[in-house]
Amino acid sequence: MNKVKGVISGIEVSGSLSLVSVHCGRIVLKSIIIDTPDTLDYLVQGADVELLFKETEVVIAKPGPLDISLQNRIPATVFSIAKGELLSSLVLKSELGKLESIISTAAVMQLKLEPGTAVQAMVKLNEMMLSPC
Amino acid sequence: MLEGTPLKITFELAAVTTVLLFFVSIPLAFWLSSSRSKVKPIIETLVSMPLVLPPTVLGFYFLLAFSPSNSFGQWLDEWLGIQLIFSFPGLVIASMVYSLPFMVHPIQSGLASLPTSIKEASYLMGKSRYTTLYKILLPNIKSSLLTGIVLSFAHTVGEFGVVLMIGGNIPGETRVASIAIYDQVEALNYGAANFYSMVLFAITFSILLLVYLVNGGYLKKFWR
Amino acid sequence: MITAELKKKLWSAQGGMELDLQFELGTGESLTLYGDSGAGKTSTLRMLAGLLPPDSGRIVVHGETWYDADKNIDLPPQKRDIGFVFQDYALFPNLTARQNLAFGLRRGEAEDFLEELIEISGLGELQHKKPGQLSGGQQQRVALARALIRKPKLLLLDEPMSALDHQMRNQLQDFLLDAQNRYRFTVILVSHDLGEVIKLSDRVAVLESGLICKEGSPAEVFMQHKISGKFQFSGRILHIQQEEVVWIITLLIATNVVKVVVSENESRELQVGDQVVVASKAFNPILNKV
Repeated sequence: MNKVKGVISGIEVSGSLSLVSVHCGRIVLKSIIIDTPDTLDYLVQGADVELLFKETEVVIAKPGPLDISLQNRIPATVFSIAKGELLSSLVLKSELGKLESIISTAAVMQLKLEPGTAVQAMVKLNEMMLSPC
Repeated sequence: MLEGTPLKITFELAAVTTVLLFFVSIPLAFWLSSSRSKVKPIIETLVSMPLVLPPTVLGFYFLLAFSPSNSFGQWLDEWLGIQLIFSFPGLVIASMVYSLPFMVHPIQSGLASLPTSIKEASYLMGKSRYTTLYKILLPNIKSSLLTGIVLSFAHTVGEFGVVLMIGGNIPGETRVASIAIYDQVEALNYGAANFYSMVLFAITFSILLLVYLVNGGYLKKFWR
Repeated sequence: MITAELKKKLWSAQGGMELDLQFELGTGESLTLYGDSGAGKTSTLRMLAGLLPPDSGRIVVHGETWYDADKNIDLPPQKRDIGFVFQDYALFPNLTARQNLAFGLRRGEAEDFLEELIEISGLGELQHKKPGQLSGGQQQRVALARALIRKPKLLLLDEPMSALDHQMRNQLQDFLLDAQNRYRFTVILVSHDLGEVIKLSDRVAVLESGLICKEGSPAEVFMQHKISGKFQFSGRILHIQQEEVVWIITLLIATNVVKVVVSENESRELQVGDQVVVASKAFNPILNKV
């Protein structure tokens, strides 16, 4: 599980859904949750939170503009790669700290990833969980 | 001379002793099974003493205690008009002491075999120790009660030494069957001795057999 | 309101242990005592019930002092307004289910409430059977109903469901919740089962060698973080297996076996038998009508 610390900078509520923006340094990550400030006590502007997301949900792309729906984008470089036959585990260094991503070994080959490669790590907003800290 | 009186006295003595012992032993056994008192080991020892002590020892001390020349015996005689020595009531008391472990032990172990939580559940339902004992505990140890009753009865039927020491050998009063047998053998009346012996043998055998049948569940099908 | 301060030196196979607890519980609340065996949970219940004398302390229930070492007050179990469900049920073998309940009636008390309890505990057809003729779950129901017959202020349950299968547990848990709703008694429960704790209690006190090491709502106590994920279950780890760069954790959640993939780092903190909370976002699962 990846954990990233940040501060809540925006909350858009619609019905029982909230789209929460979290400032993590210069990067803004977004999370959609089935909760509102009425149902979740730490859902307030300025609160310190952790964003939790699974390694398997971290998508890897080469840098540069992409026509893709994923909005949570974190610039990073590959730190190390552990290759399995089907799956590989990547440790990334970013300004948010170390991140882990598990993608297919075929994709590692196709993108020619190796330690030092610059990438962007991307996570869908519905994959981000919030936790107070 | 063959007569039934010694047999009658024997069974009267056994019956009275057993009934009285039953009511004395239940509270005693309950206390022994639940108490954590420091004097408990002493009481337990005293209760078990008749098992190992020669009956003549008990009889001897009863004789001393109940004798009218003794202050206790004198007090009984003067204030209550009871003479325990060489009398049927004296026999009953001595027999009760002598058969005490045979009644107390089965009841005590029966009570100890019940889970403590049953007793506690009853207390927590607001019931006193007395109600708990009579409504809950005793009904669940019926076979132990039966064992206690029958063993005490059979044991009293079979006693000799205590009866001889405390009761003397008064025909129609304290001469029980076991002593009558001894008398008849001494007088070389083997026929009469055999008669008493056979009756005692047959009756105690039947009683014990009944207990084992009942407690072993062999008679259950007749009860339902 | 229940206030308890209990101190007691306990002896066990592992040696001596000082039990030292303090807690407060509001009327109608449910508290679970959770912890390893030998942590002092059962002893705590027994002290509250008056079955085990504390060395010192105080027990005050709804303003009435049940125990006060300093003032030499120690009400006997009979005078404490308590329903107790024992681990072994402690039904009276010589009485039928109905008589077991009726035994708790006060002298001359009408049988309306007895009928009501038999009704809501579903014992109607079983009421004239003796405990020996009843299954474990049925005995458990009798024990629970019997504990309520005197309308106690405080119901104490000592691992009441531990011997039952899952479905039976669920039924009894529902019965208990229903009864608590109706009669508003306060509950203190000893349980090892995380699902049961979460379902039945408002508060949890985790006991560790005689001390409360954690206290709070089940969510606070058992979930390290108040994670926002809506797809949450508690379960037990059955199996841990490495597959290439990931670890596959097999979990038992209620009666279902499920698998979850975790990274190497996380797998290091997990062991077979651990209780865990599984969380995911409500956006991820798909539903298939069957």
